[in-house]
Amino acid sequence: MIREFKFPDIGEGVHEGILLKWHVKVGDRVKAGDPLAEVETDKVNAELPSPYSGKVSELLAAVGGTIHVGQVIIRIEDQSGKVSQEAASEPTVQVVEEENAGVVGALEASSEVIPSSAEGRKNSFTEKEIPQKVLATPVARKMAYDLGLDIRTIKGTGPGGRIMKEDIRRAGESNEKKPAAVAVQETPGTGILPSGSGKIERVPLSMMRKTIAKKMAQSKYTAPHATAMDEADVTELVQFRNKIKERFFADYGVSITFMPFIMKAVCLALKENEKLNSSYDEENQELLLKRFYHLGIAVDTEEGLMVPVIQDVDKKSIFELAKELEDLSGRARMKKLKIEELKGSTFSITNYGAVGSTFGVPVINYPEAAIIGIGKIEKKPVVREDKLVLRYMLPLSLSFDHRIVDGGDAGRFINTLKKYLSDPYKLTLL
Amino acid sequence: MPVFNNIQALNYALMQEMEKDPSIVVFGEDVGYEGGVFRATVDLQAKFGVERCFDTPISESGIVGMAVGMAINGLKPVVELQFCGFTYPAFNQIISHVSRMRNRSRGRYTLPMVIRFPFGGGIRALEHHSESPEALFAHIPGLKVVAPSTPYDTKGLLLAALRDPDPVIFMEPKRIYRAFKQEVPEDDYVIEIGKANIVKEGEDLTIVTWGAMVRDTLKAVEKANEKGIHPEVIDLRTIAPMDRETIIKSVKKTGRILIVQEAVKSFSVASEIIALVNEKAFLHLEAPPARVTAPDIIVPLPRGEQFYMPHPDMIYEKINEVVNFLT
Repeated sequence: MIREFKFPDIGEGVHEGILLKWHVKVGDRVKAGDPLAEVETDKVNAELPSPYSGKVSELLAAVGGTIHVGQVIIRIEDQSGKVSQEAASEPTVQVVEEENAGVVGALEASSEVIPSSAEGRKNSFTEKEIPQKVLATPVARKMAYDLGLDIRTIKGTGPGGRIMKEDIRRAGESNEKKPAAVAVQETPGTGILPSGSGKIERVPLSMMRKTIAKKMAQSKYTAPHATAMDEADVTELVQFRNKIKERFFADYGVSITFMPFIMKAVCLALKENEKLNSSYDEENQELLLKRFYHLGIAVDTEEGLMVPVIQDVDKKSIFELAKELEDLSGRARMKKLKIEELKGSTFSITNYGAVGSTFGVPVINYPEAAIIGIGKIEKKPVVREDKLVLRYMLPLSLSFDHRIVDGGDAGRFINTLKKYLSDPYKLTLL
Repeated sequence: MPVFNNIQALNYALMQEMEKDPSIVVFGEDVGYEGGVFRATVDLQAKFGVERCFDTPISESGIVGMAVGMAINGLKPVVELQFCGFTYPAFNQIISHVSRMRNRSRGRYTLPMVIRFPFGGGIRALEHHSESPEALFAHIPGLKVVAPSTPYDTKGLLLAALRDPDPVIFMEPKRIYRAFKQEVPEDDYVIEIGKANIVKEGEDLTIVTWGAMVRDTLKAVEKANEKGIHPEVIDLRTIAPMDRETIIKSVKKTGRILIVQEAVKSFSVASEIIALVNEKAFLHLEAPPARVTAPDIIVPLPRGEQFYMPHPDMIYEKINEVVNFLT
């Protein structure tokens, strides 16, 4: 039988190749597995092994010429005389019955030669110094990761140099003291980087961004956060503000937003719920109740989050608060605040409603006890005396340090806050 | 230097050692006249005569039992059990006698013998032909279990097994019996039993594998290399006693471990390696130990076999998963 061998699909999307060399000539006897030819493709140079044993009867491709997958390149004659098309598109690694192959199942057979070994023959084996990973328990690694620390840079003081939790905590603290050294050195291909493809641009953090990152991590790590959410009915407050808004702007050039009302309400609610205006002194295991009311107001600036502080909110009128707020937030956006105007808050307010959000889970402005998040005021259908009515609702999210404030305290605080927010007369007169 | 595939290297090593050591006798089902179902023992009977290479009745228990008697009395039997699934009738002999004669006789007798059989699937065979039962044997104290993956190692490990004073279970990954070739020196060399081979060095992750899975793992690793991931690949070669030192050393370097095995997942060699790593390299781990294995089911018949065998793509995916685990 005369068998035809076609240039096989060797995979990798190769469709054609250049015949570099024939290893056989007409009349040669070949055995299955013997190399027939060498072919160059755009991916590899490949040897084409013969799938048949027999005598080469015809070479159908010229050296240097292009051959295509599926093209018959050689005819090999074995004992009988028929032409077979059988080998149409068999891959290079073929399942062929070699001489002495088994009788059960289909064994893959190939003449591919794998790299040689010299093991056990000569004593050329040399031990290499292996750089070792840092010693740390999974829980310690997690802790370092959460703190944004590169565990490889931390010195271990435990047995055998093991990095203990205490070492990580200390490294976290010393990072705070030297803000210039906060930048965590990340080498490409390790840790934070995804190992997949795609271009990554490295952008050094601004000093301000570094500070935000550090403060957020410190707060989240130190204070166990819990968040209570509610909605305050502010329909009457909306009406009240609408009445006075234009007149105040015309008379004093000050635009009265909802924020000064909210600040006032927060201040009144803090007076009735003193735990919310406190800090936790971990070292002495004491609660520091603050008898002054400085409110931090989160301001979204191009550079990132800033929290200017309005002092003694309890001693100022809503109009005064509105004026001061306008001044501070304006200067915050121009980066013209003084350091002392960013310090000393006892409680903070973040208004993500300004960017259209409804609910959030704010991060406490540590070491304060809590922070209130203000969502967007929206008209919503609510039930009043068994009737569905439309009211202006203000979403509230209170995140609190659960070490010193409990859910009950948080709920009572929010209830007080709602009481004042829904009653503009109380708010302005008290 | 001759270039052989795995089965040729095996036959070559047997041939060489039988010439040197007249106490070696080779027997099993179809081993003599036929030269074995996969031709591992071809030409041995013609060369060394029917007394040193012969066929036996279809009785695995009898084959191994006979070898126990021969070994006690000074011969070095090399028995072939035709398929991994046919070893089970011999289990009583293997567990009750082969593994413990040294202990039972307080060291007076040892059983220098080799029990050879093909293991693993992927050749579209029948029931009982495709299992990977290495954990069954490795779990028995007193047995050494080896599973070479290359022609060079096949010769080196078989010579070591033939010269071992104690019984060695010699498992041959049949799917790669003829899948590739390698230079196999004519001269005498042994691969020490109990010594793993670092096939490929790397620093991102340690992959431990053996048998036919070495080749599939290397395919996956090649793909990973293109993405800049460099795993270290360890061919275990000896299942028991396991080369703990090499594994631990590598994991301490990479911090991550993946085990690739063709055997089913639960209560397996992979499980044992994970336990070992947790015991000895716990503080170095940067990701949970992972494994790619067959599912916990009986090997399917040929039509379903492809869904059972771990595939290079699965290995590649797992490599990514382990390497991308953040610490």
